[in-house]
Amino acid sequence: MRRILVGIASIALVAAGCSPSNPDGESSGGGASRLTIGTTADVVNYNPLLGNSRTDTWVTNLMYPRLMSMDMEGKRTPYLATKWEYADGGKTAKVTLRDDFTWSDGTKVTADDVIYTIDAVAKEKIGIVAGLIPSYTNATAVSPTEIDFHLSQPDGTFLDNVGFWMPVVPKHVFEKAPSVQKFANDSNWVSAGPYKLETVERGQRYVLKRVDNYPLVDGGKPAAQEVVFRVFPDVNTEALALRNGEIDLIANAVPPALAKTLDGNDKIKTVKVPSLGWAHMQYNVQRKPLDRLEVRQALAAAVDYEAIRRVALQGSAVSSNSSVLTPTLKQWQDTSAKEYTYDTTKAKQLLTGAGYKDGNGDGLLDGLSFRMIYDQADPNIAKWAQLVRDSAKEAGIDIKLEGLERNTYVAKYQERDYDIYAGSWAIMDNPPANLALAFKCKGFINYANACDPALDKLIDEARGKLEQADQKPIIQQAAKMITDQVYDNVLYVEEFTIAHSAQWSGFLTQPSELLSIVNPQSIAQAKKG
Amino acid sequence: MGGSARFMVRRLLRGLLTLWFAATVTFFLLRLLPGDPALAVADPTMTEELYADLLRDYGLDKSLPVQYWHFLAQLAQGNLGVSFRQNQPVLDILLERLPWTLLLAGSSLLVTMVVGIPLGVLAATRAKGLLDRLIQVGGITGQSLFVPSVGVLLLYLFGVRLGWLPIGGAMDDDVTGLAAYASIAKHLILPCLSLVLVQLGSYVLTLRSTLIEALGEDYCRLARAKGLPNRRVVWRHALRNALLPTTTLVGLQLGFLVGGAVLTESIYAYPGVGRAIYDAVAQLDFPVLQGAFIMLAFTVIVANLVTDLAYGVLDPRVRAS
Amino acid sequence: MTVTESPGRLTFEAFRRNPLGPISVAVLLLMGVVAVAAPLIADYPRGYGEDVLAPPSGAHWFGTDDLGRDVFAQVVWGTRVSIVVGLAASLLAIVVGVLVGVAAAYFKHADAALGVVVDLSLSLPVLPLMILVAALAGPSVPTLVVVIAVFSWPEVARVVRAQGLAVVPLPYVSASHALGGSHLWIIRKHVLPGVAPVVAVSVVLTTSRAVLAEAGLSFLGLGDPDSWSWGAILHNAQRSGSLATAWWTTLFPSLAILLLVVSATLVAVVYNDARDPRTR
Repeated sequence: MRRILVGIASIALVAAGCSPSNPDGESSGGGASRLTIGTTADVVNYNPLLGNSRTDTWVTNLMYPRLMSMDMEGKRTPYLATKWEYADGGKTAKVTLRDDFTWSDGTKVTADDVIYTIDAVAKEKIGIVAGLIPSYTNATAVSPTEIDFHLSQPDGTFLDNVGFWMPVVPKHVFEKAPSVQKFANDSNWVSAGPYKLETVERGQRYVLKRVDNYPLVDGGKPAAQEVVFRVFPDVNTEALALRNGEIDLIANAVPPALAKTLDGNDKIKTVKVPSLGWAHMQYNVQRKPLDRLEVRQALAAAVDYEAIRRVALQGSAVSSNSSVLTPTLKQWQDTSAKEYTYDTTKAKQLLTGAGYKDGNGDGLLDGLSFRMIYDQADPNIAKWAQLVRDSAKEAGIDIKLEGLERNTYVAKYQERDYDIYAGSWAIMDNPPANLALAFKCKGFINYANACDPALDKLIDEARGKLEQADQKPIIQQAAKMITDQVYDNVLYVEEFTIAHSAQWSGFLTQPSELLSIVNPQSIAQAKKG
Repeated sequence: MGGSARFMVRRLLRGLLTLWFAATVTFFLLRLLPGDPALAVADPTMTEELYADLLRDYGLDKSLPVQYWHFLAQLAQGNLGVSFRQNQPVLDILLERLPWTLLLAGSSLLVTMVVGIPLGVLAATRAKGLLDRLIQVGGITGQSLFVPSVGVLLLYLFGVRLGWLPIGGAMDDDVTGLAAYASIAKHLILPCLSLVLVQLGSYVLTLRSTLIEALGEDYCRLARAKGLPNRRVVWRHALRNALLPTTTLVGLQLGFLVGGAVLTESIYAYPGVGRAIYDAVAQLDFPVLQGAFIMLAFTVIVANLVTDLAYGVLDPRVRAS
Repeated sequence: MTVTESPGRLTFEAFRRNPLGPISVAVLLLMGVVAVAAPLIADYPRGYGEDVLAPPSGAHWFGTDDLGRDVFAQVVWGTRVSIVVGLAASLLAIVVGVLVGVAAAYFKHADAALGVVVDLSLSLPVLPLMILVAALAGPSVPTLVVVIAVFSWPEVARVVRAQGLAVVPLPYVSASHALGGSHLWIIRKHVLPGVAPVVAVSVVLTTSRAVLAEAGLSFLGLGDPDSWSWGAILHNAQRSGSLATAWWTTLFPSLAILLLVVSATLVAVVYNDARDPRTR
């Protein structure tokens, strides 16, 4: 009896308290006009200027425009901006905007919005963008569609950085908040993308409805009336939903093993999207004996690169030839680069030549025990970390794996508390800017703790040049130095598999998981049938 | 004070005691573990102001008794802390999810009882017979199943292969009124079924053993000796007493259900408190984990309290005990 | 019933008569053998293989996982970890549970307080709390053992206390008292043997529950990443997206869990039935 009462009480409670939500506005005319996208995490943060997770970026990208977009070679293409150039010997950057973008409340998108955004970012030091525009001082609006950015010194990375990384937010909305950094932006969205956010059911779905005047699609009207992001914490369930037709597209990259299964299914199409970053190990050169080049070279020779790509990544990865200039960025790539050779005998020779011996006969050279940290939640790294450990053992090197949960991982790498750091970059799209942060002495993301004056000099020189053609040879020199000194052991560049229903077509592919086929232009022009 | 009033007050006090116990266990557990207890409350990557605020709120710079006092005070005000990852009060996050978990747990409990009582009776009255053996083995198998595996199997079978039921989620969007309730029911079937399959076993087994004991008791023999039909003896007398469990037994059921919901809700993308726990584990969002436990304990306590009180009102003998 | 048959003998006979009893014991023994002899049965799963996610075949009886490793080997070695964790956790829980249960049954004034503690612990939803603690303490086998034990002992204490309460008032206990026996001696000589059968059952039941708890925690990623357990195999399958596609990565570890837990529970249930004169 009692238990029946408990059951009834619970159901009554729910029936009373949980009325199903009534969507605002008209319901869509039918499934044909709705694109349902699966994702594994909720939107946590609606302010596009703050550090974001993938889902945050996918959704806010559909709402806030950027100055530039990117093509499959990594080159900047026009988006909100039509043209851009440097003047005054590089101390001014001039940008011209389109005049046909409007915010969803009717106001036009103008130079004022752009200037407001960059000023807020610089003043409040918001997120990664602030770190990418150190030379920015101020800007003037020459006209509603022309801006002059003033820089403290010639900086050839400024335009590419601010163009690609900074979303433009509406001044008349964001300025009402006491601080842009604290502005949650979690309701009454005013946006200028192809879709605007209407309903949020946390834990379940995010519903966006199309606008009628998006300039970047023919006719101004996106094909799909509605875009719905549905949240599935488990990627297995997500895949089942795709196979069943309940969702049309999975935004998060599908794990390699699952990708293979979906490939064989004729109701599903898969798209290969190259990463703009790379996966790597970095050896902490400020710790003995990693300060010795032979030791780093030996470690590099003790990794089976082919096996990692073939097995751990299931072939969904390409070699970068051990260079930080990856094949995704065709305009920077150095085709003469060659990958470190996997040769455990050579590794052992390097080490014994450097004076290391196996005193106790356990197969491991004494004094060569390293702690390698990685984010345990990253399934790919967790796999190849084991391969690395096993092959290093054959070379006589002992690597202790420390798969850490996220907090601890972040804390440790910020303090540089490790011998070997294993991780991956999502986007490293602009080498002159990225190499500065990653390899200059005390660089913010310099996980190798490299401090090489010759390298620093090259990087600074490149940043001062204003044309990519001038930057390229210097950057390639710097990259070669990084490879030779083993400041970064670039293992592979991942190739993401994005799966979608075969019934949908018209997607526009861009590199990186953050853009792939869910970038605004792609979604706007996608259609069913 | 009248008998029933005294009974209610006692039960209420007991409920409060259990809640206090749950909170205290959480508090001390977190502080006994190695590592920085501040981690459970404030994330080092938060803004400095927020971090300092939280440390102050929880008195983490003060002595243990003071911290404990702060902790209880915050709890009494309904403050379960702020989520690290979602920049929102934990209470808000969980309250959004709670109705779904209640729906799932409640319906599972209901189905378990509706199916389980007849099965338990069948097994007990035919003890040691073939049917009893089958039910026993079935029950034991059920309670030994691993919930995620069952969930995936059901999803694949009914969602993909047969295509009868939806895959994941709690309801469709753009449905209103009756269609909405139908949608909720449709999405509820598989998660509920997963939980029932696992829970039915232990329920039937417990019922069977208490019923067997009760049937052997004197009052049953007496009833039979008096000439009452066996059926009457079983259903009216023995069953009633067999169903008269101590609060802890029901608590066990509900407690297990709510725990099993963590794994079920993640597989089925069901937006309940279990899901919140699953997401929080991956992101090490401790305030959510802690708050979820306390909220779930609270729910279990309230549910037990409500039924105890209701049952006490209905059955005078309980009040006397 | 002949007068020379001891209760132990009767129990044994009743146990043997029920076919489920001996079968379950055999299965448990078999799993124990597999756990101990793991190195002889299969190579420790490490590194990688070329055949990724291959279905069961002659070369790989249980197929391969997403890194090409043999699933059969994983299940075999997983037997070790799962059983060890289950047993260790349950033994720890038993020790604490017996201490508390006996104390509650024997020392009347302690009973009130201890009884309340046990009751309260039982009303709490333990999995969420286990998750919280495991997440905070970090993933490792010892942590898992302690966490599971800490949340399993109340059930043991409850059962031991109930049995102890039946034993303590028995005449020979008070007789020992009168003869001048110390508390400790009486507990050791009379009470403990009295609760022994219940404890035996508890060990088995708690172990099986512990195995399920370990599988659940490992599945959520809170297990030890360096050791293979059945829950870890499933966690791997979940993460690599093969849970619903490569059925062998899900089925075999799940079956292993099922087999162990069912056998253990059956042994306990059949033993209980055999022990009780009313249900023999």
